[in-house]
Amino acid sequence: MSFSKKAALRNYLVEAFLLLMSLTIIVPLLIMIFGSFMTSAEVLEFSLRLPDQWLFSNYAQVFKEGGLGRAFLNGIWITGISSILTIATSSAAAFIIARRETKLSGVLYLFFFMGLIAPMSTITTIKVVQWLGFYGSITSVIFIYTSLNIAFSVFLYSGFIKSIPKALDEVAFLEGANMFDVFFRIVTPLIVPVNATVAIMVFMSVWNDITIPLYFLTDSSTWTMPLSVYNFYGKFSRDWNLIFADLVMTSLPVLILYLFAQKYIVSGLTAGAVKG
Amino acid sequence: MKLSKSLYSYYLIWPALIIYSVFFVLPAIIGLYYSFTDWRLDRDAIRFIGWDNFQRIFTDKTLLLALKNTLIFAVITVIGKNVLGIALAVALNMRLKSRNFLRAIFYSPSILSVLVISIVFTPMLRTEGTINRLFESVGLGSLSQAWLTDPSIVIWTISALAIWQHTGFQMAIYLAGLQSISKDYYEAATIDGAGSWKSFLNITLPLLLPAININLMLTLIGGLKVFSEVFVLTGGGPGNASQVVGTIILRAFGEGSWGLGTAMNTLLFAAVTLISIPLLIFMRRKEVTE
Repeated sequence: MSFSKKAALRNYLVEAFLLLMSLTIIVPLLIMIFGSFMTSAEVLEFSLRLPDQWLFSNYAQVFKEGGLGRAFLNGIWITGISSILTIATSSAAAFIIARRETKLSGVLYLFFFMGLIAPMSTITTIKVVQWLGFYGSITSVIFIYTSLNIAFSVFLYSGFIKSIPKALDEVAFLEGANMFDVFFRIVTPLIVPVNATVAIMVFMSVWNDITIPLYFLTDSSTWTMPLSVYNFYGKFSRDWNLIFADLVMTSLPVLILYLFAQKYIVSGLTAGAVKG
Repeated sequence: MKLSKSLYSYYLIWPALIIYSVFFVLPAIIGLYYSFTDWRLDRDAIRFIGWDNFQRIFTDKTLLLALKNTLIFAVITVIGKNVLGIALAVALNMRLKSRNFLRAIFYSPSILSVLVISIVFTPMLRTEGTINRLFESVGLGSLSQAWLTDPSIVIWTISALAIWQHTGFQMAIYLAGLQSISKDYYEAATIDGAGSWKSFLNITLPLLLPAININLMLTLIGGLKVFSEVFVLTGGGPGNASQVVGTIILRAFGEGSWGLGTAMNTLLFAAVTLISIPLLIFMRRKEVTE
């Protein structure tokens, strides 16, 4: 009896402490959200309080002056195509690597795995993209993001495909199917959850990234949200209400995605943690 | 019957292999060559200059400071994210009423852009900013600092903010690891009279090893690649006090010293590989013996 009472008390103490700690996260985010509705004078206190008047017009103003419509569409386009390209190429490659189990496929696995570790070589990537003749274009950035995400995706897919019994393939082969039938009719339907995980992981990392656009998107008409926001932040450094509105708008897509797709994020993390 | 391996033709690997090789591997390889040259934006001729770039990196005060800051950031964030990540995961694996709410709150900053977090905190970290005012209002005024403008603490501030933002991500991986540990172990330990601290040391930690391994790798590699936090919060300043390898590469790129920038990149590449490959092999071996 006393033991369970002690445990209950301990749980209350831990919970109280964690709730207190969670304020260190909630308060700064609320300062940003409330601040985005304030006047430019009111926001300068940077403290937690509700705005005197909720100025939704801040958002309209930022949207117009920050050129956000364009940046938003660029971001959707780049993240969307990179996700699709990553999913299509990595799942196909992982299928072969997981099924062949030869020395060469082992070497290829390690070759892709290196990409999880090594940092990208930015300046020489620019050189390569210049050789190919599309430096500064959205297409180049899509290929770069795909190449950066392939390593992690091949790792995720091959772990998952290995858990699909090979007997399924064998039956199909015996009935005269070829590799493409097996991949598209048997494996593809089974890896839909992994596709979702990869799509979300790629979306979040690409949408939030500022490094690649900084080096590779030289023309402001091609910028994504973070770079537009950074530029806006430099130009409107006195209007913190507008800056906050800009930050909230950048964060909304990933927050919405997170709310609806939590399950797939967790399953991606679990694959990493449990399979090691 | 045994099916021939050749039923799985290598065709399907080509698209991934080509994109990955052209845009990731090829730049890394030619980077090795260019790090030994005086490659510049404004000159057509490229000369091979041996180890000069590296010699400069290890004698130039700013470049050395950038290396040192990168290491400080990596070490501090590895320790912070993992110690706090395990603590949070263990606490949020307990039967708490607000468990799901707390998990979501602690995870949430890690899905936001580093840019967003860095800009939000910039005014709060000013000398007269929210954080110092908070310290003063609770009578801890002596703790207030010039968080982003004091050269001796700026890299620590940036590290702390990175820990604040990303610990939730590590926590989520640790939680997944904890949930794969069977409750039976703890029951057996309780029957044997082990306290919760003992259970933690003898059951939780060893069985959490795969998650610890992957998190150590992720945080260490991520730490050495640090760029966005520094770029947005200080741009490497005040002076050069918070420069890291990532910001130095951008500066070298901007100045047109592409050979030097590439050499810096090669150094980062070497450091990351030299640290993580032995670590990977070591971890593999440890997992097998257990």
